[in-house]
Amino acid sequence: MPAARGKITGTFLWRNRVVLTAGALLLISLHLLTGGLSRADYAAAPAFAMLEVMRPVQAAAAHLGDGASSIVHNYLDLVGVREENTRLRGQIAELKGEDARITELQTENQHLAGLLELRDALGLGAVAASVIGSDATGLSHTLVLGQGSSSGLRPGMAVLSNRGVVGRIIDTSQNAARVLLIDDHNSALDGFDERSRARGIVAGVVDDGIIMKYVDRSEDLKPGDAIVTSGLDGIFPRGLLVGTVASVHREGPGLFLLVQVRPAVDFHALEQVLIVTQQAPPAPPDIRG
Amino acid sequence: MRLVILFATLTYLALAIETSVPYWIQTRILIPNLIVILAVDLGLRNHGVVPAILAFAMGYATDAFSGSTLGVNAFLITIVFLLTYEISSRLLVTNAAVGATFVFLGVIVTSIGALVLADGAAGLAATGPMLPGIAVQAAISAIVAPIVFALVALLKRIAGLPVALARE
Repeated sequence: MPAARGKITGTFLWRNRVVLTAGALLLISLHLLTGGLSRADYAAAPAFAMLEVMRPVQAAAAHLGDGASSIVHNYLDLVGVREENTRLRGQIAELKGEDARITELQTENQHLAGLLELRDALGLGAVAASVIGSDATGLSHTLVLGQGSSSGLRPGMAVLSNRGVVGRIIDTSQNAARVLLIDDHNSALDGFDERSRARGIVAGVVDDGIIMKYVDRSEDLKPGDAIVTSGLDGIFPRGLLVGTVASVHREGPGLFLLVQVRPAVDFHALEQVLIVTQQAPPAPPDIRG
Repeated sequence: MRLVILFATLTYLALAIETSVPYWIQTRILIPNLIVILAVDLGLRNHGVVPAILAFAMGYATDAFSGSTLGVNAFLITIVFLLTYEISSRLLVTNAAVGATFVFLGVIVTSIGALVLADGAAGLAATGPMLPGIAVQAAISAIVAPIVFALVALLKRIAGLPVALARE
């Protein structure tokens, strides 16, 4: 028996088992990477399960995060107060805590009221959801929402805030969803300049920010112009604010302008978003590009 | 089996931290890359087929919470494990300082690799301005790494697993 074991352990396959296993796993990764299997396939099912398993922790952390800043501020405010003021200090802390809670509720109320207004203005079916997590590596720009397929969310749906366009859903599990933000380097949407009607593709860039690509050099874009969705991509309803033109570069060769866009939404400050669950009607072709 | 349960739990916690902490610290580069630290620990101290599969699974789990392309982190974390394993099996010493160095390089490799794999040549071009931020995150990860290694060693002791390779 030990001789047989010695035979196995002495073989090439056994000696290089770690490298061979890792090599096989690298090939599987490359197969996933090159689109051999999309997120909609069975290979993505464990990823969706993980999204679901992580949801309670993320929701708790998001809830804790909302309260944590008020606790920290309360603590900092109280540092240095004398001992004889303990009772008053306690009261102040209590009142401040209450105040912070009311302010938090007011802010949440404002956000939700804004989203309701937006939903009414859109005239399309929409669902509100809370942001509960962010991208695991920070190299991509994604968010995790606390609502999933059980609320009617599906990949490809548009995500909005009362300030403008946020992104689109890329994954859903039963009670969670992931959103690809419009400033991610893999994100693109069809938009146009509201003033000049010039059309282009609004895309994220790797080192942060948004640009508008494929805008003809003859177009008259100016800093401060509003960039809105055209509705032609079939994801975002027409006329939603994406951002404003920050700068227009006409220097250098090329057929197109380089347009830097300042996003309308502060992606770091997002708490609630609205997901359009109903397909928008096709946009009329009154824009150039 | 105990190793699988241990690293599955640690991966869960690491991803929970990495996706939730940005609520408190919005400067993303200040948050260490815990998955790379765990992959380096696997490569340094757990030589076998199961650790290789665990590294791949950790990367795949990261893909569930990062980016839009499935397989990017699965590929890169497996690479980090494989390089750590290959180099460490040729080293006489694999202490925390060596691990921290691997972590520093691992974070840089995975960050640049993720950009290139997801965005091709444009991603590579964009790494220039992003490099200082990536280096800061790599340095923070390297500083945190010995603490994580010690924690993993402690948990292994509790679980009755061997803490180090036999040759150490």
